[in-house]
Amino acid sequence: MANRILPLELIDKAIGSKIWILMRGTKEIVGNLRGFDDYVNLVLDDAIEYSPDPKDKTKIIKTELKSEILLNGNQIAVLVPGGTGPPEDSLAAKAR
Amino acid sequence: MSSEEPKAAADAAPAADAEKSKRSPSDFLKSVLGRPVRVKLNSGIEYRGVLACLDGYLNMALEQSEEYGPDGLLKAKYGDCFIRGNNVLYVSTQKRR
Repeated sequence: MANRILPLELIDKAIGSKIWILMRGTKEIVGNLRGFDDYVNLVLDDAIEYSPDPKDKTKIIKTELKSEILLNGNQIAVLVPGGTGPPEDSLAAKAR
Repeated sequence: MSSEEPKAAADAAPAADAEKSKRSPSDFLKSVLGRPVRVKLNSGIEYRGVLACLDGYLNMALEQSEEYGPDGLLKAKYGDCFIRGNNVLYVSTQKRR
């Protein structure tokens, strides 16, 4: 009981390291976590956005945002501390 | 005066040091107010402009705003525009301009 850990403590421990964010829907984001608040809005550095190509769903479009971002917590589904993003062909493999 | 300042800085240092690596969403928003930003909506549409004001819902007003489609092409320009916060996916700083 004494050493139970709260979900937000886990995110707090991830501050300063890479984090992999799975959004509702198909979008995924990887970035360096700078901070967060009670709504799990996140501040990220060097974020990379992964989303399926609307024209060809077997492809993933990778967008480097190259600046600090504030990600709205509203659409966040899963956080993976230390995650480095989807395997290069994961979405493509699912679509096949 | 010159002897006061370093002392005050040294007193504040331990707390500042622990918090230095952290940057909460409200810190971020304070720092980007009045600066050029890129705002991406859930629909994939992106707005670029100068952040004039915002609130806790991420409702915001942009000045000199430009609307870009999901394909990244410029679709429209507005002098001022209001974005309702529920549509916002992320707010990003923008180096150019």
